[in-house]
Amino acid sequence: MIRSIYILGPQSNMVYSKEYAKSDSRETLVEFLVNLAHFLGSVDLESKTEYMSFSTARIFYTVRRDFTFIFMADKADDAAQIEERMGQLVTTFVKDFAPLADANLPLDGFDAKVDEIAVTMVKVAILGYAGVGKTTTLHLLRGETLPLVHDPTIGVSIKKLPDEVQNANIVLWDLAGQSRFSILWAKMIANAQVVIIVTDSTLENVLRSKKLVSLVKEEVPEAKVIGIANKQDLPTALTPERVGQILSIPTYELVAIDISYRDRLIQIIRRAILEGKAETKAS
Amino acid sequence: MPEAVFVVHLDDYQGFIVEKRYPASFTLNEKVLNLIFYEHEKESKENLRYTEIESFRVASFVDKAHHGWMVCFVLGPEEQLESLRRPILGMGRLILELMIEAPETVRLEHILERQSSLDEIGEEQKYAQVFLTPSSALLLEKMESEGVEKAAKISIWLKGQVQTDSVDLREVIKPLMDSGLVKVEVIGKTTETVFLLRDLFGYRAPPVKAITKAKESVPQLAAKYLEQVTQFFTPPPPSKGYNPTIPSDDPNSPVFEDRERISRVLSKSLRYTVLNCLREEPLTTRQIADKTELPEEVVQNALSTLQSDHVTAEIGEGTWALLTDPVMETFMPEFILPVIAKKLSAKEIGPDIARRHLELLSEAWSGRK
Repeated sequence: MIRSIYILGPQSNMVYSKEYAKSDSRETLVEFLVNLAHFLGSVDLESKTEYMSFSTARIFYTVRRDFTFIFMADKADDAAQIEERMGQLVTTFVKDFAPLADANLPLDGFDAKVDEIAVTMVKVAILGYAGVGKTTTLHLLRGETLPLVHDPTIGVSIKKLPDEVQNANIVLWDLAGQSRFSILWAKMIANAQVVIIVTDSTLENVLRSKKLVSLVKEEVPEAKVIGIANKQDLPTALTPERVGQILSIPTYELVAIDISYRDRLIQIIRRAILEGKAETKAS
Repeated sequence: MPEAVFVVHLDDYQGFIVEKRYPASFTLNEKVLNLIFYEHEKESKENLRYTEIESFRVASFVDKAHHGWMVCFVLGPEEQLESLRRPILGMGRLILELMIEAPETVRLEHILERQSSLDEIGEEQKYAQVFLTPSSALLLEKMESEGVEKAAKISIWLKGQVQTDSVDLREVIKPLMDSGLVKVEVIGKTTETVFLLRDLFGYRAPPVKAITKAKESVPQLAAKYLEQVTQFFTPPPPSKGYNPTIPSDDPNSPVFEDRERISRVLSKSLRYTVLNCLREEPLTTRQIADKTELPEEVVQNALSTLQSDHVTAEIGEGTWALLTDPVMETFMPEFILPVIAKKLSAKEIGPDIARRHLELLSEAWSGRK
């Protein structure tokens, strides 16, 4: 995922910046980038894009006209893809916005263009049998109040995760668990980067859910599959370790009706997205 | 006439997207879309389904070639699907093709008012599918030499040819079966046998009908038109012109390449509609648009694409004509009769299979010229 974008002017002045991920050391980073831009002014990159690793991130940079363009992305990201996006952004800026920046005028409309180029869409499918808590998990992820009455999902319910999670538009596909809708599952999980298999942590349900793991591995072999051992507050619940052993996928505990699990679950999804990317890249 | 029409696309990321709707005030929710989609998935053989959801009575059209797209017509309280089946299918086909090829040209209200439609895929288009699926074309060649063969044996041969075990004979043979070139029957207890009934030849014919008609309808352009066609088929030496009957064993020969090209032309419904229109006589873009009820920009695009494929030519200011007429011709495969006899005497096939093959050939060709 692209974490931040910076454009520095001829005097290494900040012309534009956008940060999708929070950073604790922004000031230090900006100082570093100003020095980098200053240094790049003395070398000829021949319009090429280069990158360097920096902790868990990768810094991509290029110079066009007198502007220095810097992208910070995750190490796991595909470098070619980031370079392609950077190319798009540079072209857009030089063509339509550089004259405004030269004249010190506001870059109206540029922000939307940046989002168009930098924001990726990530599909996360939530799969599981009826009544295991898929829709409750969806509500939890979206930070919504839980409905008091159980209303079974029809087909699929598609919702976005609120914007606060990175610059990736995470689209959650909550698939209906009723058996009559099982004919839709294979089609609905197409192109998912992450598939979450939700169980209610009972032995019977977990054993049944093994079929879902097989289905996912067959239909979307490149997707990262994670298990959720939901309803851990119930006395009959198997431990997440046991559920993971049965399903043979990394599995995490959850009480979907408990809001305190929200951040943890979002982190799990984020990690799954990154791990999925890294695995795809390695294969 | 349906009260409303909407076009839905199931995007792998964003889910159901209502791409077009008429009237603009018409609203619907995710549940309705889900249930319409579910109806089609439940019964995937039919491309037109009727569903009653909430207060809506919906006739929805899908086409396997365009997965994830649905054209939905909301019927009025008095309307019955059966009486509207034909126009709805025609409008559905047209809307879907236009949404894929030129979405910006789609005016649902016009289509609905005029009940503009697109014909069902014709025989020629079915034949074209054979040459567009490389393994199916390969299978046809095999059947041309074998005449009749056990499905199991063909399956093994096919796996060897395409170097993979995952190839499914049923899928490969489908275009041949759909177009009636082969028939598969179980002979005896379990022997699934494939019979060749028709052979297929795809080529460009001179547009004789249009040339003749041009002398009456556009006499001032007729000579120039004839000259352009002649130039294509029989140019002065040393150019060779177009001759699809020159035998070639090389699968990369221009004849094979061209066969795929004309198959592609025929398989695209909008282009095919324009091409079909020009088979009669040269016409202007406007005249084609009027005849076919296609938007003028779609006609213009189709003409340009066909021109780059050497199918159409602009013979005068804004007047278009066929330069070549892509044809798919089937014929009786007489050459397999000695093959059947030989296989029978060598006991490669039993008399029941040989007899059945002759019966099938006779059924397929009796009464035909």
